[in-house]
Amino acid sequence: MTRVLSVLNGEILKLRKRPAVWICIAILVLILLAFGYLIEYVIFTYTTPATSGPNAPPPGTPSYKVLKQTLYPLHFVQNTFQGVAQLGGVLAMIIGVLAQGSEYGWGTIKTAFTQRPRRLEWLTGKLVSVALTVLLMSLVLLLMAAATSLALAAIDGADKTWPATATIVKGFLATWLIYSFWAFFGFALATLFRQSAMAIGLGLAYALVIEALIFGLLSGFVGDPVRRVQQWFPLANAGYLVQSFGQPGRFRGEAAPYADATHAVVMLSLYTAAFIVLAAVLIQRRDVTS
Amino acid sequence: MRSGELVIETHGLTKRYGGEILAVDALDLNVYRGEVYGFLGPNGAGKTTTLRMLLGLIRPTAGNATVAGTRPGAPAGLIKIGAIVETPAFYPYLSGWDNLKVIADYCRVPDGRIGAALDQVELTPRAGHKFATYSMGMKQRLGVAAALLKEPELLILDEPTNGLDPQGMIDMRKLIVELGKGSRTVLVSSHLLGEVEQMCTRIGVIQKGRLVAEGTMEELRGAITLSVRAQPSAQAQEFLTRLLGAAAVTGEDGAFTLRVDPARAAEINRALVTGGIEVSELSSGRRSLEDVFIELTGTEAGL
Repeated sequence: MTRVLSVLNGEILKLRKRPAVWICIAILVLILLAFGYLIEYVIFTYTTPATSGPNAPPPGTPSYKVLKQTLYPLHFVQNTFQGVAQLGGVLAMIIGVLAQGSEYGWGTIKTAFTQRPRRLEWLTGKLVSVALTVLLMSLVLLLMAAATSLALAAIDGADKTWPATATIVKGFLATWLIYSFWAFFGFALATLFRQSAMAIGLGLAYALVIEALIFGLLSGFVGDPVRRVQQWFPLANAGYLVQSFGQPGRFRGEAAPYADATHAVVMLSLYTAAFIVLAAVLIQRRDVTS
Repeated sequence: MRSGELVIETHGLTKRYGGEILAVDALDLNVYRGEVYGFLGPNGAGKTTTLRMLLGLIRPTAGNATVAGTRPGAPAGLIKIGAIVETPAFYPYLSGWDNLKVIADYCRVPDGRIGAALDQVELTPRAGHKFATYSMGMKQRLGVAAALLKEPELLILDEPTNGLDPQGMIDMRKLIVELGKGSRTVLVSSHLLGEVEQMCTRIGVIQKGRLVAEGTMEELRGAITLSVRAQPSAQAQEFLTRLLGAAAVTGEDGAFTLRVDPARAAEINRALVTGGIEVSELSSGRRSLEDVFIELTGTEAGL
């Protein structure tokens, strides 16, 4: 245990001083603020929706005044999810890939393995450091969203009521779980391929194409049976978890998630555990030849 | 035959890749406490693979090893070993000091050791600069500083002068000799004969994965011999064979090596001249390590 903590100290130093980690977090926060709050605030405040013609919103769409309520503190948890669940996942995956892939790229894995800790102790310290990094990422994201929503409410003199503490805590934990899943997915890919480039490429392909596109296309043809299969896949479960917090009221008639939050949490946790086990087996069994 | 405490001991150590490539073949290596052991061999002979097995980075296909009293890769052994395998590998975005701090954390070595290790390799003035900005020589020195952090009883250095300019090579050799003083054991691999000759007290020669010779410099170079140039050649050979015995005389075309006590030089010279044989040169000496290396490996690589 002491050796794991010693490794953790070293790993935290490495991640803390790595510009790429801070760039990923900064990009995520900037995108949330720009697309989740500021642009929408400008649109809802300074423009008027078309009432007829092809640009007119579908019947039943809430007015801008109603939509603007979603930018205030009461909805900041949902708004954060809506804005950056997927993008944040991809950035967390990149952090996971870099944390491990660079060790192979720079050959530092041999430096690490010729020090004192056992391989699995080193891996444990490293995984904890990655989990703490995405925890920080989730925390910063929610804090920035909360601060921005409060600022906008103050500017408009609107209601500054916060959501229930339980909602905030659940939202934070859900964000952390989703980002941890992605980070460990990237970590396992980097361990498998012993490099960053292939891991990021395949990770992005999965995030953007494989699950979303395949199931998106298939569900159009087959419908429910496909969704029954899809409920066991990670991206779908990340989606269920996000949807379990409710939509912030932008569109009516949203279908209920196919599976509930408990199902999503269990599935994402199982996937995360599977990636950790995969990385552990590979690290423990493989020769270090790089 | 040497005696003393073995710091590295391998028995039948073998590494085979994919069933076909035999990188290391039944290696029996013995490194004793306090010596600077040169692990000499041409490129691709299996030196780095052997060192990786000794450090637990790769698992042997067969055989076993004991390093610093434990099996390779065990924490109890690793804490006593400082190592550089191939090129020193560090984090380019971290400073030299931060890189050593990461390693100090891994090893649970107090931060105070970092400054001492940097001082020892004369890298303190650049300690705050990023590793990516270091020259090859500075990278090698940081590698040595990292290896010294644990104040190890065994140093394993794989081709430590690789990529260094002549002055850097001289400095590194001096440093290694310095580090090898006292009870610390140093295992240094190299394909450079001159380097090994200058630094090492004992040598193992590896060729195609097999240890083809092991011993002190004197043992490998053999006993002091006499070299004679004399004409006419056939008459000289016959005369010397009769005088010293066939086993003591080798050579041809008027150049002979005599395995006899060098103190007999004057006696042999007098006998040859008295016998009507013209002696143009008579000197004593040992075979060079270069001769031994070529004889053992059949290569002139890295001379």
